[in-house]
Amino acid sequence: MTDNIIDVRNLVKVYEPDVRAVDGISFHVKRGEVFGFLGPNGAGKTTTIKVLTTLIRRTAGTAKVDGINVDADPAAIRKIIGYAAQEVGIDDDLTGRENLRLQARLYHTPKPDAEERIAGLLKAVDLEEAADRRAGTYSGGMRKRLDLSMALIPRPKLLFLDEPTTGLDPQNRAAVWDYIRRLNEAGTTIFLTTQYMDEADRLANRLCIVDHGKIMAEGTPASLKAEIGADVVALSFKENGGPDARSAAKAALLSIPGIQEVQNVDGGIAVYAKDAPSLVPQIVLALNDARVEVAELTLTHPTLDDVFMKYTGRKMRVEEVTPPRRNPWGARRRRSMG
Amino acid sequence: MTAGEFLGEVTGIAGRWIRKTLRRPPFLFFSLVQPIVWFVLFTQAFSSISNIQTPKPGGGFITFADITGTSSYLTFFSAAVIIQTVLASAMQSGVGFVTDMESGFLDKLKVAPIHRSSILIGKLLSDGARILLQTFVILLLAVALGVGVATGAAGLIFLFALALSFGIAWSGISTFIALATRNSESTLMISILTTFPLLFLSTAVMPKPLLPDWVQTVAVYNPISYIADALHRLIITGWDWAVIGGAFLVILVVGAVTLSATTAMFRRAVSG
Repeated sequence: MTDNIIDVRNLVKVYEPDVRAVDGISFHVKRGEVFGFLGPNGAGKTTTIKVLTTLIRRTAGTAKVDGINVDADPAAIRKIIGYAAQEVGIDDDLTGRENLRLQARLYHTPKPDAEERIAGLLKAVDLEEAADRRAGTYSGGMRKRLDLSMALIPRPKLLFLDEPTTGLDPQNRAAVWDYIRRLNEAGTTIFLTTQYMDEADRLANRLCIVDHGKIMAEGTPASLKAEIGADVVALSFKENGGPDARSAAKAALLSIPGIQEVQNVDGGIAVYAKDAPSLVPQIVLALNDARVEVAELTLTHPTLDDVFMKYTGRKMRVEEVTPPRRNPWGARRRRSMG
Repeated sequence: MTAGEFLGEVTGIAGRWIRKTLRRPPFLFFSLVQPIVWFVLFTQAFSSISNIQTPKPGGGFITFADITGTSSYLTFFSAAVIIQTVLASAMQSGVGFVTDMESGFLDKLKVAPIHRSSILIGKLLSDGARILLQTFVILLLAVALGVGVATGAAGLIFLFALALSFGIAWSGISTFIALATRNSESTLMISILTTFPLLFLSTAVMPKPLLPDWVQTVAVYNPISYIADALHRLIITGWDWAVIGGAFLVILVVGAVTLSATTAMFRRAVSG
């Protein structure tokens, strides 16, 4: 038994004809940790999860879960994992309890055991009162919680959570975070994807930043932020500052002692400096001398947002995607998000 | 994978579909009312068919009763209503897979440590249960309207067996289309177009000698004719093992083709 419950080497997934959704990534997940996969929509997070959960086949590279090659014995992998997809997969015509019972049946859980687990899970995700109502009447938050509890029916060693809080309001989000932490404390290894920096920062012991199917950076949240080694001053310019504003500003700022780096980013520049607060007056004066008109100046201690910006040159935008759904026998689905 | 586990998966999945049907009262209501509508409409609109006579080569006439064994179009048409109802159920069987693909429920089934064929078998079993219920309603109505079953209680068992096995074999068509198109509208459209004309190009709604020549030719190659002939024997004229056995053989062949095509398509759909 190796220490790594997930081991991925040079994994590639190409969707026909030529979309390289995952483009040669390597990483590992240690037993017992919460591992975060942080990136914007389309970064390849879900594709990676689908390869690891045996839902799709890889194009190249190797992927091992609990020491088992994903193509060698997918059935063995399915026995030890739980998976909550980004889009909840619950049956709206069944009640919450019936959804859980079906799941228990599919995982061959003996009946008395199953009822005990179901009761415990319903309590843990706070769905006891709604348990015998049709899942179609649930709110977005309740649906997400039911889906999460379904993934936990088999008591998986390894739990995959694909954007567990996307579409949730802050209260539900905090509840899900809390629950994920408790699961992890109870010994479950968790592989989590998210497009929220704060979520990765709070939950993950280690994380990868992914973009365009590649891993841009890897480490603990603290080490990644420490890599920036500086505070960040983000500047954007007024439109009448002219096309040269950016280069003029860069030239002016790089002459200030203490500024380590100036980087072009979406909508302006990012200035990296230790003890930036004391440098702000000099920055303002230098820009004034260079006749650059500033629209906005923000000073932050490094966050994962800055890490993302440093490695990709872009700000990470969060997009909520809810594809339209069809229900041919009369739509009775009510999806109030939150 | 033990047999007990497999059975648990299949019944769990079949139970889910049956429960879903019961939870949609309008759907359940119309699947039961539909055969009644067919029965009443057709037997009323075409009741005079039984008065049709065709000239006999040596003089005189052959009557409807001579050809079919009954002078009641109602009795003759019972078989067509059973077939039509089975076809209608089979045609929308595939739609459930499309909704499961769209909702993400299929992914949930696919990551579970189940034998993947239980997804397909469970669904087909639930369709079979609905077909049995519908056939029961039709027979109840037919008997209430004065239709007698020539082969009696034993014949009823064969009648249910024919409806069930034919329904499951035919479900393979819409399931195949559903898995190939992944779209519920196309599934319904294509399966209606491939199925409905076959009913009218068979011996189900009209005795063979009364069909135009070219339709008679088509009817010989139309599997539905064989089911219709067997049902006619069971209801009207009595045991005829050659015809009944022939119908089961046809169902076996149709089922082998549709279900192996569906299984292949299903493998493709679940392997991604």
